[in-house]
Amino acid sequence: MTQFVLAGVLGLLFAFGTFLVLRRDIVRVVWGVTIISQAANVYLVTMGGLAGSVPILGHGPPDNPATITDPLVQALVLTAIVISFGTTAFALVLTYRIHEEHGTIDLRELGETGGEH
Amino acid sequence: MAAQIVIAPLLIALLTAIATLPLRRFPRAQRAASVLGALAYLGAVALLAGRVVDESILVYQLSAWPSPFGITLVADALSLFMLGLTAIVSLASVAFSVRFMSGFAQRISYHTLYHLMVVGITGSFLTGDIFNLFVWFEVMLLSSYVLVAFYSGPEHTRAALTYTVLNLLGSALMLLAIGGLYATVGTLNMADMARRLANPAQFGVDPVPVLGLTVLLFCVFALKAGIVPFQFWVPAAYRAAPAPVTAMLAGVVKKVGIYAIIRLYFTVFAAATLPAGLGLPGFVGNDFLSFFGPILFVMAAGSILLGGIGAVSRDGLDGVLAYSSIGQIGFVILPLAVAATVPEVRALAIAAALVYALNHGLTKSMLFLASGTVKEAVGSVRFERIGGLAKRTPVLSIGFFLGAVSLIGIPPLSGFFGKLLVFRTTAHAGALGGRGGAVALGLSLIGAILTIAYFSRAWNRGFWGTESEGVRTATYAPSLVVIVVGLAGLLLLVGVGFDPVLRAAEAAADIALDRQAYVDAVLEGLQ
Repeated sequence: MTQFVLAGVLGLLFAFGTFLVLRRDIVRVVWGVTIISQAANVYLVTMGGLAGSVPILGHGPPDNPATITDPLVQALVLTAIVISFGTTAFALVLTYRIHEEHGTIDLRELGETGGEH
Repeated sequence: MAAQIVIAPLLIALLTAIATLPLRRFPRAQRAASVLGALAYLGAVALLAGRVVDESILVYQLSAWPSPFGITLVADALSLFMLGLTAIVSLASVAFSVRFMSGFAQRISYHTLYHLMVVGITGSFLTGDIFNLFVWFEVMLLSSYVLVAFYSGPEHTRAALTYTVLNLLGSALMLLAIGGLYATVGTLNMADMARRLANPAQFGVDPVPVLGLTVLLFCVFALKAGIVPFQFWVPAAYRAAPAPVTAMLAGVVKKVGIYAIIRLYFTVFAAATLPAGLGLPGFVGNDFLSFFGPILFVMAAGSILLGGIGAVSRDGLDGVLAYSSIGQIGFVILPLAVAATVPEVRALAIAAALVYALNHGLTKSMLFLASGTVKEAVGSVRFERIGGLAKRTPVLSIGFFLGAVSLIGIPPLSGFFGKLLVFRTTAHAGALGGRGGAVALGLSLIGAILTIAYFSRAWNRGFWGTESEGVRTATYAPSLVVIVVGLAGLLLLVGVGFDPVLRAAEAAADIALDRQAYVDAVLEGLQ
């Protein structure tokens, strides 16, 4: 059951992110990119399997190693989250600079006023 | 043992980046540290190259965790070939920046960001692990975002926005592909992945989803390399970034995408075959490469034509160079397409792609630096404002001319051998009855003619044109001209003493195709 719910949620997140990326407002574009990268992170977590038990070994070997969720993907996602945090911060600062430089955050206006120099 | 030397270039670049931070109060010391760091990087790469010649593949397991469980760094002829290019271009660009960038710009964070970008590039070339490839890409890209936006004027912020958003989407896509590959193949280590893909039944790998995921991943590398249809961010970003950074972006960062394509698609994913064949119209064969071959071919054709025609219609030096960069990448991809479709000439074709990549890296970085020198002196690189350069600055103009002639492919410059090898590869493939050999040959001819067209146009209108006011009153910084001419001399040197370069490229191509040696070296303890 969980995997169907997650698959649906992931699809919605990607769709919503794509919708935002295609907007005219730069802030929305940045949020769209953020949502897409977060959806990629969630997707990465699901790649380790959903049904297993916690990946912490007690004393001695586990009864059945096959039932443990793969802990590696969680380490990978932590790295990916840190990276997307940094890039989101940069993208937002860049949006602010664009507003300062061009006086607009509308991509169409930006395209009309800031052509080739 | 002593495989720790693999990590030396990475550490040197990182330490240089860190050292330039507290030195910002002492500008001279900061610049000295930055240039010395680039010199030490070149030294470390040379040292590593010496070791690789002796031992062929050097593997360093971080914290002595054996692969595939730990993080692995691998240095072989292929990564060393790319690292050598990085070291040379990086040293020239850093030395150029010292005089080119304003004192304030250098003091804030320029050198730190620059060396962090080198860290990312180095890591991408050395890593033996596909998730770490993603991380190193991010290290490289995060610094390059800031460097593209560095001047922070209207067009720079605009170009940085496109560049950043596209690359962020590319990163998300890369993460998706890597996650999917981990779930289907069960490993992130490249050598282990090659081993598992070669025996899909033994490890329970289904090759069909793997093919789809590798296509996703391929889009990301094509985006980084700026191949058509993922080229649209290139001209704006290259125009916006400071000249020495553009030299690095066009000369080296693009080649990271090329390297990733060679390493992953020819060494790792080529191990896999589809049991039932591709079953797609127009695609023959059942291995992954025969699927990517036609795609690479179409992308190469698009890049050569779009880049060439785009460059002919630009009215400024920077625009011509940026579009030419798209076209020249097509010449790197074309032999790779031949390599993918015609197995008989695979080693020759990859060597041709590598030689062309090296030639383009050196030449294009030199041309961007020359364009930067002109911009600093005259204040513009539009053709109507830079007429008569050849008369005013004969030395700089000779440098530019050598670069243009090298990209056109006239002996004895390095570009001649790049073109020669590409032609030889396509002719061989045609002679062997490889499909599209004649078309590839014709395409490279058209590309070569377009190169002649846009460079003679730039030369006639810019350097030979009627002398403008700006050119007459401009003063040229001698130290910048010296670096440009030095790189031009290097082009001549590579052309005259081409034999060692060719042998290095052939060794790199051989190691890229020798999957068993790679797997054995990395997974020593496992077999």
